[in-house]
Amino acid sequence: MYVYLYDNFLRQKKFENTIKSTETRLTDFGIAGKIIRLQNFTNAEHIIEDEIRKGAKTIVVVGNDVTFGHVLSRAAACKVVFGFIPVGMGNTIAEVLGIPEGVAACDVLSRRRKVKLDVGWVNNRYFISQLHVFPHDIFIEYDERFSVSSRNKKMELVVCNLQPFVWNAGRNKDIIVHPQDGKLEAFLRPMAGRGLFRDKYEDPSIFPFEEMVVSSRTPFLLEADGKQSKETKITIRLAKKKIEMIVGKGRRF
Amino acid sequence: MFPKSQDNLAMNNRLAPTPPSTAQDTVETVVGPSVHVEGDFASEGNILVKGTVSGNVTTSRLLTVEEGAQIFANIKAGDAHISGHIKGNLRVSDRLELMETAQVLGDISCKVLVVSAGALIQGKVNMNGISIEDPKDTKSEGKRIFKTKGKTARAQELAEEEEA
Repeated sequence: MYVYLYDNFLRQKKFENTIKSTETRLTDFGIAGKIIRLQNFTNAEHIIEDEIRKGAKTIVVVGNDVTFGHVLSRAAACKVVFGFIPVGMGNTIAEVLGIPEGVAACDVLSRRRKVKLDVGWVNNRYFISQLHVFPHDIFIEYDERFSVSSRNKKMELVVCNLQPFVWNAGRNKDIIVHPQDGKLEAFLRPMAGRGLFRDKYEDPSIFPFEEMVVSSRTPFLLEADGKQSKETKITIRLAKKKIEMIVGKGRRF
Repeated sequence: MFPKSQDNLAMNNRLAPTPPSTAQDTVETVVGPSVHVEGDFASEGNILVKGTVSGNVTTSRLLTVEEGAQIFANIKAGDAHISGHIKGNLRVSDRLELMETAQVLGDISCKVLVVSAGALIQGKVNMNGISIEDPKDTKSEGKRIFKTKGKTARAQELAEEEEA
């Protein structure tokens, strides 16, 4: 049985046609199912566990990156197959997973090409795509083996899980770090100074890791899959092959 | 009026994910210019050091130490390309390249060594696979064999006499 979790923004009139044609396509494939509309404060984990008890085998998230992160940050531990139908603006995760936007995603869903994905774990919740610590005076310890500090105290940290990270290393040379390689990648960028309109940063450092502790004397701002919070100490871990996901042929890993 | 700031690392990445086919090189670990790493540092992939590392560095693949970078510890690597300063022993299983700006204070062990003019080394260089024998060593070995042979022959004679 399929259960579809719709984001609240899909109520807007501009998505009406896409939703209608998607539902028709799903019915054609014989994979239509129960529709649940998510609200801002809905705990997806409870809903999914409830639906699993009722016999749900596949949970499909319908929405954008924020919807995807909102559902899987809590529900990654649920033993069920996840699918994704990207609709609306801000869909970069779908591109990585090889899922086209809108109605075409139904074809990918019907093929059921399943892959187990690694997810990140930070202070009792999961993150799928990215974790971002905004520039702050932080101290980082990797895998209890080595620590990293910077001469210019403030550092920005980005931990990537699903999205590949590409940056230009000069001389027309791009450096790429592939996700889903059994490790999380941390991109660390020390702040070089303040400019007139924006802060200046140095080239990023990259460290693959399985466990990392980030601490600071004062609270720092953290954003995991679009959700912000303030912390003084966080432990980031890799949960290997945690979620089973339906992906497309053109996925980037 | 002003161009939108695109200096946010996470946002940059989110907005413009480039397909993997455009990438020319893959690097697993990069130590940035003002970054200081303390502790044992091991990686299965390539390592690029631009900053300072105090602690052992181990990789089975390519280690690149850029100009201005410093490593204060022993290094084990598959291949190495050094342009910075190293204080510690350097064990490379295949090819070691020392560029003009490289400075190594410690012993070197490798299979293939390439040294550019201007590179500084202070320490022993040990390379496996040498087939030239030291004549002094062979002479002394020969004497030793002769002496031992003589001793054993005399001992055998004495034993035979005793038996008779």
